Amino acid sequence: MAALIIIGALLLIAIFFYNSIVGKKNQVINAFSAIDVMLKKRFDLIPNLVEVVKQYTNYEQGTLSKIVELRTKGVSGNVSDTEKASIDAQLSSSVKGLMVNVENYPDLKANSNFINLQSTWTESEEQIAAARRTYNAAVTDYNNAIMMFPGSMFANLLNFQPMVVLATAEEERKNISAKELFNN
Amino acid sequence: MISIAGNVALQNVLATLEIERKKISSTQKKGYLFIAIGIIVALSGFALGLAVPAAIAGLAPLIYGGIILYKISDELKAYKEAFKVNVIGSALKSLDSSLLIEPDKGIPDYEFEQTQIFSQTPDRYKTEDLVSGNAGKTTFYFAEVHAAYKTEVQTKNGTRTEWHDIFRGILFCADFNKNFVGVTIVKPKDLLGTMGAWFSKNLFSFNDKDIISLENTEFSKTFITHATDQVEARYILTPAMMERILNLNRNTKSSVSLSFINSRMYIAFPLSRNYFEAPVFKTLLNPELLNEDITVINFMYEIVNELDLNTRIWGKN
Repeated sequence: MAALIIIGALLLIAIFFYNSIVGKKNQVINAFSAIDVMLKKRFDLIPNLVEVVKQYTNYEQGTLSKIVELRTKGVSGNVSDTEKASIDAQLSSSVKGLMVNVENYPDLKANSNFINLQSTWTESEEQIAAARRTYNAAVTDYNNAIMMFPGSMFANLLNFQPMVVLATAEEERKNISAKELFNN
Repeated sequence: MISIAGNVALQNVLATLEIERKKISSTQKKGYLFIAIGIIVALSGFALGLAVPAAIAGLAPLIYGGIILYKISDELKAYKEAFKVNVIGSALKSLDSSLLIEPDKGIPDYEFEQTQIFSQTPDRYKTEDLVSGNAGKTTFYFAEVHAAYKTEVQTKNGTRTEWHDIFRGILFCADFNKNFVGVTIVKPKDLLGTMGAWFSKNLFSFNDKDIISLENTEFSKTFITHATDQVEARYILTPAMMERILNLNRNTKSSVSLSFINSRMYIAFPLSRNYFEAPVFKTLLNPELLNEDITVINFMYEIVNELDLNTRIWGKN
């Protein structure tokens, strides 16, 4: 009888830890899809941004076509997650460069569509940063669960592997400053 | 920083009010004196064994003193109101012309509950001294709030009601510079909260909000954060914002609580002092008089800068 109770209790604990780890793993997947959603949102901003900028400038064609190219690559279905992240990083720096150059085009700078796009862009930037931080928190949580005793026992048995956190770019750690970004 | 010394208009207002204050102060002293005489007469009568004549002799000055105090009470109220509107009001105006104090208004109890900072529903709610205005592009307001709940205690002689503070201090509200739809709540960490957090993270969650583990270790040690949306909470609480909140918290005696809801941010500052009250028995002409009130006004006004709420580059203008 006592043996049965002990086995039952052990089984319950095992189920509890297993469920808890699976729950945490799912949170990681969920957090990753949040980054994806944010990235898509940002990719969708590109066509409008390019259209508006085109109307006012003749000199930024090179940058614009590079941005369009990156965007097309980003939204095409056959890129891996890491590729997507690197496309996003390149896109981000190109657009940032473009925003700084806007200084040279006062008409564009004053265009309400452009101003709107600019703030939506920075908004998406910060949202992506938030999504990445959420992902990292979920990964840390999951890693803690599978590396700490007694979770580590089940993790080894059931082959749960630790995951890697995303490296945060230095500029994501600080708040976006309007001054630096738009060079006002 | 606002100073009385350099402000002639404020000095004039204070000089006029000082006359009123002296009148109220001397009348009140007279009232209290008669009440004291009444009590002394009655007590000494009792001591000498003359209970009935002592009671009668003591009652007369007691009633007279009471009438004096009652008659001056309207003037006292008007004087306190004038102090708030004219003295505090002009101190506010010299800091920023948009600032306004409304002594009889406050933050209504339903808004207090909406902040979701406090889990208890108040049974008694008092609020006064609503200050509102803009700091740059950001509108804000704050008011004194005292909320309490009651418990019934069984004693030998029946039940006794006991009151417990939910919150006493200043509730500050500002328009937040980013768009969001959910609720994020930041509370000081206590033992119960820590245990509850562990429980809801590892076993079951009892409410609709998740615990948010944030990467700033000092922030996580000081506060516990709940939110309806993990990503949105981090969108609001950026690494820079967490540092700013910690800084704000370092400058206050008791830990602050915050909530982000309905596109606004609320900050609750627990304080034991009642601000913006006119002195009756102390002179108004003391240059240090307004120091504490001004400090608190400046502090509230500076929050907007401190938390960088005027940076509006996130699609919300």
